[in-house]
Amino acid sequence: MFFAMVKKEFLLVLRDKHALLALFVMPAIFILIMSVALKEQFNQDAISFNISLNDLDESNLSKKIITKLEEDKSFNIIRDEKDADLRVSIPKGYSVDDLKKEMKLNIIVKSSMKSDLLEIFKSKLLKTIVSLKLEYVKESFKQFSPKAVEPLDAITLSSKELFNIKYDKIQNIPNSTQQSVPTWIVFGMFFVIIPMSTIFINERKQNTLIRLNSMNISIFSMTISKIIPYLIINHIQVWIMIAVGMFVVPFFDTPALEINGSVFALIVLSVSLSISAIGLSTLIAVSATSSEQATTIGGILNILLGAIGGVMVPKFIMPESMQRLADISPMSWGLDGFLDIFIRNGDLLMVAKESILLLLFGTTSLIISMIILRIRIRKGL
Amino acid sequence: MIKVSNIVKKYGDIIALDDLSLEIKDDRIFGLLGVNGAGKTTLLSILNGLIDVDEGKVEVFGLDMKYHAKEIKDISSIIPQHLAFYEKLTVKENLDFFSQIQKAKKANYENALEINSLEYLLNQKASTLSGGQKRRLNIAIGLLNDPKIIYFDEPTVGVDPKSRNEILDSIKRYRELGITVVYTSHYMTEIEKICDEVAIIDKGKLVKQDLLDNLLSNRVSDKISVEIIPNENIKSLNIQLRDNCIIKTTKSELFQLLQILEDNNIYIKQIRYGASNLEKYFLEMTN
Repeated sequence: MFFAMVKKEFLLVLRDKHALLALFVMPAIFILIMSVALKEQFNQDAISFNISLNDLDESNLSKKIITKLEEDKSFNIIRDEKDADLRVSIPKGYSVDDLKKEMKLNIIVKSSMKSDLLEIFKSKLLKTIVSLKLEYVKESFKQFSPKAVEPLDAITLSSKELFNIKYDKIQNIPNSTQQSVPTWIVFGMFFVIIPMSTIFINERKQNTLIRLNSMNISIFSMTISKIIPYLIINHIQVWIMIAVGMFVVPFFDTPALEINGSVFALIVLSVSLSISAIGLSTLIAVSATSSEQATTIGGILNILLGAIGGVMVPKFIMPESMQRLADISPMSWGLDGFLDIFIRNGDLLMVAKESILLLLFGTTSLIISMIILRIRIRKGL
Repeated sequence: MIKVSNIVKKYGDIIALDDLSLEIKDDRIFGLLGVNGAGKTTLLSILNGLIDVDEGKVEVFGLDMKYHAKEIKDISSIIPQHLAFYEKLTVKENLDFFSQIQKAKKANYENALEINSLEYLLNQKASTLSGGQKRRLNIAIGLLNDPKIIYFDEPTVGVDPKSRNEILDSIKRYRELGITVVYTSHYMTEIEKICDEVAIIDKGKLVKQDLLDNLLSNRVSDKISVEIIPNENIKSLNIQLRDNCIIKTTKSELFQLLQILEDNNIYIKQIRYGASNLEKYFLEMTN
């Protein structure tokens, strides 16, 4: 009996082309588009500036400055001023030797350049000039007292040696693929609301549920038989989206997805997330009076949960208050779990909290759905 | 036998069934008549164990619904008014599904196919069937569990006359197979055509239950219609006329009326006892 009900549900979903588009094609396309579109935003190492240099001084010092700038991978020295983000001009007589009277470098900035990028450029240039000044100071002191210069040799301007930076869990920032794949997996999984509600409401409206009930099929069996097909569908979604992240996204010059954590934890998390999505979808399907109402409510709820939960805007760039609000969304729990596995080498223990929360949310929704359905059947739907 | 004793069913303040009692004997086609909202669907739902009664008792083949709803569901089947199957599945997939969940026997499957002439439509998607074919599939599903009782809830709504006759003929065959049929319809001609016994429900109460022949025969009705050939004299008699020529009266007043008509030289065209057909009778009983 149970097998027949599962098979029926499968056949119905597979014959719903629109649902298949929403479940598989939409998230796959989103992963591709968002991974490629956001790759610069998420890749901090990729910051670079096109710089044109005009050396009016042509001194040893100006050549040193140019060499230092060329050595820095952030600066892309170009000849054509038109394409330059920054036009740097070293004036004649420029010197860092005179610490009191120092001439300024002239920099013309492209009007479209963002202020934060300009700040990064300024700090990088400052570091270059300070290191040259330091060199000058060391050379000057060396002539009088070589021993006194020794502590100065230990001075470093490398941020890696000056700062010990460690990310906490939230601030462990993913690249664009690591962000996009789990985001659209989570969002796509919750889209089971479309086929679930359409099938369920049709069954209700056409009295098929009444007929099933008159055939001694319990409400529990009716509900549970719907879980298995969507659980399988959700898993197919998960692995297709992961495959897109691993094998398709790299074709667009975007980093490939890597699963750094436990695959078993990934499966456990996916099952929990799927139960959660199915539970919510069932709740909407049994509560709504028409499939239009269910798809509208389901769609809006999906978008809201997605917006709150870090699907639309990554959680790590949200203000702290919004990050706290995100914790109420099951999408956020799922997303955190996936990020734990993809970028934080997460194991089962690491995603246990998210998995338990998702399972609780899903089973509670299913129990409420069964109660509502029982009441509705008793009232003749 | 189905025995319904003093059942009451309320939905909030609305009384759907009000102290209703009736008996349905075996191997009969039993017609259930009533206007919309009379309580027919509620009664069918109760008889199927889908909803509980607030008061009273329901027994089906000696089984008390209160304690044996599962067993009663196993021997009964409801054919809902709506097409309660899956349009995206083929005829075969639908029949397979409903027979598998009921663990139906192969013989029942083949019987349901044959009675409803669905053999040549097996691989057709249900959504592409004609209205009549869909109705037949809807009925065939109800036969899969080899029921002792079948409840038909207006099974011919939206069906063309040819398919309707086919459906009605198939329903007559169920009686021959020893199945008790409870049939609701708005089409009185259908009830007249196939039912052995009829119950009329109005506002949740049983208004009348009797054999169809008795209902339609002259003996049981107290209402008499006297059709006259009107003349000038009738105006002075202060008698109410319908359609300018029909006088409604009762058995007890008939003799007196005939005397008056005779005294006033008013000729009588015909005298009709009771309702001429079920529809008229139904309208009389339900106002």
